[in-house]
Amino acid sequence: MLFNSLTFVVFFAIVVALHNAPLPWRVKKINLLIASLIFYGAWSPPFVLLLLLSTVVDWFAARWIAGAKTQSRRRLFLLISLAGNLGMLSYFKYGGFLLENFTALMNAAGVAYKAPEWNIILPVGISFYTFQTLAYTLDVYLKRAAPTKSLLDFALFVTFFPQLVAGPIVRPSQLVPQFAEPKQASRDQFYWGLALIAIGLFEKVVLADSFLAPAADAAFGADKALHPLDAWTGVLAFSGQIFFDFSGYSTTAIGAALCLGFALPNNFLYPYAAIGFSDFWRRWHISLSTWLRDYLYIPLGGNQKGRLRTYFNLMVTMLLGGLWHGASWTFVVWGGLHGLYLAAERFLRETVPEQEWFKSLWFKAAMAVLTYFLINITWVFFRAQDFGEASTMLASMFGLAVKPERVLYYNEIIPALVVVAGMVISHWRMRATSLEAAVAATPRWLIASVLAAMLFMLVITQGSDSAFIYFQF
Amino acid sequence: MAQRNSLTFFDPEHVERPIPGRPWRAILFGALGATALLTAGWEAFWRSKGLIPGDYKNSDALWAEQRRKAVGEATAIVGSSRILFDVDLDIWEELSGVRPVQLALEGTSPRAFLKDLADDPSFNGFVIVGVTTVLFFTQEGGLRESALKFHREETLSQRADHLLSMPLEQFFAFIDDQSRPRRQVQIWPFPLREGMLPRFDPRKLEIMTADRNTEMWARVVNDPAYQAEAKAQWEIGFRIFAPPPGPNGEPPAPMPPEAVGAVIAGVKIDIDKIRARGGEVAFMRLPYGGGFAPVEDNGFPRAQFWDRLLRETNSVGVAWQDHAELQGYELPEWSHLSPREAERYTRALVPIFYERLEAEGRKTGKPASRPAE
Repeated sequence: MLFNSLTFVVFFAIVVALHNAPLPWRVKKINLLIASLIFYGAWSPPFVLLLLLSTVVDWFAARWIAGAKTQSRRRLFLLISLAGNLGMLSYFKYGGFLLENFTALMNAAGVAYKAPEWNIILPVGISFYTFQTLAYTLDVYLKRAAPTKSLLDFALFVTFFPQLVAGPIVRPSQLVPQFAEPKQASRDQFYWGLALIAIGLFEKVVLADSFLAPAADAAFGADKALHPLDAWTGVLAFSGQIFFDFSGYSTTAIGAALCLGFALPNNFLYPYAAIGFSDFWRRWHISLSTWLRDYLYIPLGGNQKGRLRTYFNLMVTMLLGGLWHGASWTFVVWGGLHGLYLAAERFLRETVPEQEWFKSLWFKAAMAVLTYFLINITWVFFRAQDFGEASTMLASMFGLAVKPERVLYYNEIIPALVVVAGMVISHWRMRATSLEAAVAATPRWLIASVLAAMLFMLVITQGSDSAFIYFQF
Repeated sequence: MAQRNSLTFFDPEHVERPIPGRPWRAILFGALGATALLTAGWEAFWRSKGLIPGDYKNSDALWAEQRRKAVGEATAIVGSSRILFDVDLDIWEELSGVRPVQLALEGTSPRAFLKDLADDPSFNGFVIVGVTTVLFFTQEGGLRESALKFHREETLSQRADHLLSMPLEQFFAFIDDQSRPRRQVQIWPFPLREGMLPRFDPRKLEIMTADRNTEMWARVVNDPAYQAEAKAQWEIGFRIFAPPPGPNGEPPAPMPPEAVGAVIAGVKIDIDKIRARGGEVAFMRLPYGGGFAPVEDNGFPRAQFWDRLLRETNSVGVAWQDHAELQGYELPEWSHLSPREAERYTRALVPIFYERLEAEGRKTGKPASRPAE
C-alpha cells in the first residue's frame, strides 16, 4: 500500500480509530500487527510469508544466541540468522546480478555458458527489514541488548507499517521498548503527526513527482548526448527528486507513527547543506549510514587500525552501501565514489593544517557548493541504467558530448530549477536548526497558511500513481 | 517553543520526538477550512472550463476493470481512439441487445490486446477490432500498452484505490488529468528552445463513463480556439511521426509487403485461436478527414493493407468508405466524431455490421432474441 493513495487514507483512519478504542494494550498491538501485515500484503500477499519467516528466524536465533553456553554455539546461531537474512536478500535481490556476472565471467574465460532466465520478483522493502532484523540478532550477539521477551513485540518491531518498506531502519533499542507500555498519542502529538504526514506527502506527490520527475525522466530517458543545460537540469532535478521522494516517505512514516503515539528517528537533516562528505552522511539516510557505521565500519576496525586500514574500511563500507541500494555495478560505483570522497576528506583533514579562514562563511558556503556539486556527480551513476548512459550524461554535463541535443522544454526546466533552488536555499537556512524549532518560532497564521497551501496542492495534484523510489531497494 | 531540542544525530539507543509548542488544534482546523474553500474555488473554476463530474479518468485501472468483464461469450471492442469515441455503447446495446466491453485505447494499436484475448482461455466471445491503419500496422501496442501490464500485475491496493476513487470522480469535476498542476505546467505556452520541435501533446478530447462509454468533450465541439489547438496538435504529430524521406530527398519508402504480411500473419494466429474456441473476430474502419486523409490514404493504401488484412485473415470488415450511410459526418478535429454524430453514426453502423456478418454466415455474438425487435 502506498502512503500516497486513497487506500492508505482509509486504512490509516481505521488503524487510528482502533488504536484509540478502549481495548487492552495487547489487543491493540495485535491490531497493529495485523494492520502491518495487511499494509504489506496489499502489494503481494505471498511475500508476507517471507516477512514472517524473517521474523521467526531472528526471534529464535537471538534467543539461542543469548542462551548459548559457548562462543562457538553463539557464533553458529548468529550464522543461522545471517544466512537466513542475507541468503534471502541474495536470492531475491542479487540472484540475477550474480548469475549475469557469472555468465559474463564464463564467457570471458571462453566457456560458452548460457544462464537460465531469472524472473524473480523483488519483495518490496526486503533490504530494509532484513537490516532491521539483522541489527537485532547482532545486538544480542554483541551483548549490546538482551533478547526481547515478547514475540508479539518483536514481530511488531519488524513489521511496524509506517517504516516497514522504506525505513527509517529502526534499532531494536529504539522501538521495542515503546511496545512494552501502552502508547497513545497526545492531542498535540496527533496533530503534529498529521502535519508531518501532510509535509511528507507534499514532498513526494507535489515536489518530487509533479515538478522534478518530468525533467529527470526526460533527461535520463533521452538516450542521447544532451546540451549541458539539459544534462545539468536533469541531474539537479534528480538530486531533488530522490531527496523529496525519500525524505517524503520518512517524514510521512514519522508522522504516521507519531499519530499512534510512537517515536521514530529522523532520517534526513537538510543534506544538501552539508559541508563535506562526513557531514553529508550525518544528514542523508541517517538510519542506513549509522547502521553501516555500527555493524560494518566499526567491526572492520573503523579508524582504530591505522590510516591505510581506515581508508580501506571506508571504501568497503561505502561499496557495500552502494550495493545495498541495488544489484548493479552502477550502484557500486556510486558507493565507491562516496568512499573516495570520504577518504579524500579524511586525508585532507589530517594533512592540511586548520586555518582561521576555514571558519568564514564564504569558505563554508564554497565547500557546501563543492559538496553538492560532487554529490550530483554520484547521482548520475545512481540514476543511470548502465555505464553507457552514465558516461554520456557526464560528457554532456561538461560539454564534451558529440552532437548534443536539446530535449527539455522550458516547461520542465523552469519548475525543476525553481524547486531545486528553493530546496538548496532552504537546506542552507535550516542546516543548524530543526523543523520543530523553526515551526515553534513561526506565527500560527503562517503555519496554517503553509499547511493549507500544501494540502490544497495535494488535493489538486490528485495523488500520484508512482511508488516511492526507495521501494525498489 | 519546541518542548525539547530536536535530535541532531541518530541515537541508536533512544528516540524521542519533540512537538513544537503551537496551538495545533486551531492551526489544523484553520488549514482544513482554508483547504476546503480553496478546493471549492478550484472545483468552480474547472466547471467553468467545461469539466463535469462523472467524467471518469481514462486510467489503466478503469481499463482493467472492463477487461475483467471480457470473459465467456462477451463482445469486446479493441482498437484505437476512433472506435472509442465513435461507437456509442448505449445505442449499440439498444439496437443489438449486446453491450460491448469497451477496451479500445487512444494512440494504441489493438494487436497486443487482440493477442491478450486470444491467449485467454476464459474468453470465447466476439472481438470487434477498430483499425486505424497507421497505428495498427506500425506497432503492436503503443501509447497505452501499459494497461495490459497493469491488468496482469494489479495489486489489491491498486484495485482498492480505483474503487475509492470512483465515487470521488462522480462528485468532483476537477478530478481529471487536465486540471493537474503538472499537466497545466506541461501545456503552458513557454517559448520553444532553439532547434526544438514543438512537443506532440494531444489535448483532452473525451469524457468517459464508468464502463468506458466515451464521447468527445463538449469543449472540442463548441470552442473554436480549443478545436484549433486540437488540430494543431495533430499537425505537430504528422511532422514528428512522418516517416523519414529517402537519402536524396525522395518520398519515404512505403511499408514493405513482407512486413505487412508478417503483421497480418501474427494477427491471423490470434484470430484462429479465438475461432478455435468458438469465438469470432471482425474489423472496422471509422471516419477520418482533414490532415489524416493523406496520411492514411497515401501512406497505407487500402488494397495493400485493409483489403489484404480481411482477405488473409478470412474476416468480415466494415469500412466507412464503403457505405454511403457511414459517410458525411462532422469531425470537429479531423479524427473523431462529435457526440451527436457518434450517436447517429452508431445507429447507421450497427445494422450494416450485423447484416454483413449474417450474410457471410458468421457468428455475431448477439443473444438469440433482440430486445429492440
